[in-house]
Amino acid sequence: MQEAGSMPDTVRPKRPLKSWFDVRHRKVGTWAFALNRLTGIGLSLYLIIHLVILSLLLQGEQGWNDFVTLVKSPFFLTLDVILLFGFLFHGLNGVRVGLVGMGIGVDNQRTLFWVLMAVGIVLLLAGAWLIFTL
Amino acid sequence: MEKFHALIIGGGGTGGALAHDLALRGLQVTLVERGEVTSGTTGRHHGLLHAGGRYAVKDKESAIECIEENLILKKTMPGSFEHNDGLFVALSDENVEYSHLFIESCEECGIPTKRLTREEALRLEPNLSPETKMAVQIPDASMDAMRLALRWFATAKHNGAQIKTYTEVISILKQGNTVTGARVTDHTSGQEYEIGADIVINAAGPWSGQIADMVGVEVPIKPSPGVMLAVRGRLCNMVINRLAPSGDGDIIVPQRGLSVVGTTSWVVEDPDNLGLPKDHVQKMYDEGGKLIPLVKEAPFRAAWAAARPLIGPRKAEADTGRELSRTFKCFDHIDEGVEGFVTITGGKATTARGMAEATADVVCQKLGIDASCRTREEICLPHTAYYD
Amino acid sequence: MMAEQQVQFKVLRYKQGQASPTFQTFNLTVNEDTTVLVALQDIRRDQDPTLILRHSCHHASCGTCGMKINGQEQLSCVVKALDLGTQTVMVEPLDNLPLISDLVVDMNGFYDRYTTPEMMYLRESEFLTEADLPEGIEKWLRFENCVECGCCVSACPIAGSDAEYLGPAALAAAWRVVAEPRESNPQEALEWVDNEHGCWRCHAAFECSEVCPSDVDPAGAIMSLRGELTRRKFRRLFGRR
Repeated sequence: MQEAGSMPDTVRPKRPLKSWFDVRHRKVGTWAFALNRLTGIGLSLYLIIHLVILSLLLQGEQGWNDFVTLVKSPFFLTLDVILLFGFLFHGLNGVRVGLVGMGIGVDNQRTLFWVLMAVGIVLLLAGAWLIFTL
Repeated sequence: MEKFHALIIGGGGTGGALAHDLALRGLQVTLVERGEVTSGTTGRHHGLLHAGGRYAVKDKESAIECIEENLILKKTMPGSFEHNDGLFVALSDENVEYSHLFIESCEECGIPTKRLTREEALRLEPNLSPETKMAVQIPDASMDAMRLALRWFATAKHNGAQIKTYTEVISILKQGNTVTGARVTDHTSGQEYEIGADIVINAAGPWSGQIADMVGVEVPIKPSPGVMLAVRGRLCNMVINRLAPSGDGDIIVPQRGLSVVGTTSWVVEDPDNLGLPKDHVQKMYDEGGKLIPLVKEAPFRAAWAAARPLIGPRKAEADTGRELSRTFKCFDHIDEGVEGFVTITGGKATTARGMAEATADVVCQKLGIDASCRTREEICLPHTAYYD
Repeated sequence: MMAEQQVQFKVLRYKQGQASPTFQTFNLTVNEDTTVLVALQDIRRDQDPTLILRHSCHHASCGTCGMKINGQEQLSCVVKALDLGTQTVMVEPLDNLPLISDLVVDMNGFYDRYTTPEMMYLRESEFLTEADLPEGIEKWLRFENCVECGCCVSACPIAGSDAEYLGPAALAAAWRVVAEPRESNPQEALEWVDNEHGCWRCHAAFECSEVCPSDVDPAGAIMSLRGELTRRKFRRLFGRR
């Protein structure tokens, strides 16, 4: 008898990335899962980049001012909005995952998702406006 | 001591029960099945463990077999039946009249009955038609058609039997007039090979005629399909039968969250080409709806056909198949001058174990083995043990 | 006279010894009642007798005919080919279970985990509870919903990356032992799932419950297991209240 968990599928080896991110034919729960992973990876990368950027402070005032001019460009402001989306999605969906993980709202998890996304869209639009106007 | 090798062709309930019986009697058993086990007729039946009521009046032999096997199966396969009993429901004065003959016949066959008034019946099954006039309670039960048979396969496997699925018989090997084995294809790889055996047993159900043709013997099998309908909703907890001689759509079996209505009957030549007559499906709604009106509005889940392996004259006429006996028959083809080949066919899911016992007796007698049947007492392993 | 139509079936084929699975296309005339299972059987009968697939009950009770149809896990016996609405129907075996050949997957590993919590297959029926019980019957019994089809395991993104994950079917089975113990021991079941490859490994994709053909709701069961484990941990932490 084979040990549970040690069955090799020699002709269809495990493909974790496909398993996580190929969301064709999948429902909203899996989409949320995949996007949570993606935004999680994205936010982690951003965190690293952010710390690297902060090290520019060591270069003194001129280096910092050049950098600030760059990130006030429309291209970077757009990236900021994308970052905000990642933050909002991961945070709000995270609330949903936390709730259902404790047994709250399990039977309404799809509705919960869309309600939180609606909140997220409002915050995203408000945030985007602030990012581009301040 | 040398072990005799039996090759069983056919992985339905009969083959499974036979592998189980012969393995317990100390034979080396190989079973070949061209598909998944129970993928022929056995898996598709409506899951009724008969008490024999349906046969008590017209086919007493079948009825007695049924009630005997009913009790044996409940004992050897604990945990595999919804012990909810069954009702034979009278919807007309004619049915009520029939109840006297019905109860009498059941008593003659040893089938316990209880006469119920209309009120009593409706309290047990509130979804019954308001036309209900009275009912008779008998020890029917619901089973999971595939998983019940799988317990025989599981136990046989654990007792040394080799169950080779996706292994199709291409030809039967003979030496003179003696059958010596079979040539098979393993469909998982495409490889052909030969299996030698001291005795080959044809347990292929509606396909047993095709296997017999390979040997050149005649098996009077008449594949007789019937249509069944599954609707969503468990509309009854007991098996519901019409209190009348066997007819179309006169039985409703609860299965998990579904209700299965059956069945009809016609005859075909090719058991792989049954068809699904639309008017038969409609009949299930109509007739089932007479017993439980909610059937008519219940959402559709599935409609399918399964072929009974009825024994009868192969070339002669038989209108619907209903007039042929539901009992089983074991053919020792030495009668036709062929040694080493036995066919078991006919019967029904409820009597598969009994069929296997009769066949195993014949097989052991032919091989000179002195071993008695143990399957009346031996508790079977759970179906999940098949996958060890 | 029923409307008939030509449909193309793209079936993933594999025989032991082949390098990898490949698609084979079959053309078949179907009518409005033809299920994908019947279509595959017809293809086997008339076009290619080497095609193998698992099937048995033909009415969503045995769970053996689970496969991916147009990318979605379903029981082929209850999917009508024309209801899919596509000219080509893609048929593949379930994921996350080892492939034996064609559409047949190895269920041994599935059952290794499924049987661990020592479960019963029969429970008290929740249907028609207002009905009286017949003489000689103690309570209305019914089989559990789960038909052991493996569709949930195939659809689970975690089962696709963690070979040791117990999986939705086994976890749902464990929950059923906790919810209605009968003769089993719920504590054993809870201990069995309380680890990083058990109920905590789930990441709430909920695809298992979406594809389940039998109203098992494995995702709900997994969350219930977590809830129960959390409650017990709290009680132990703060003493019995």
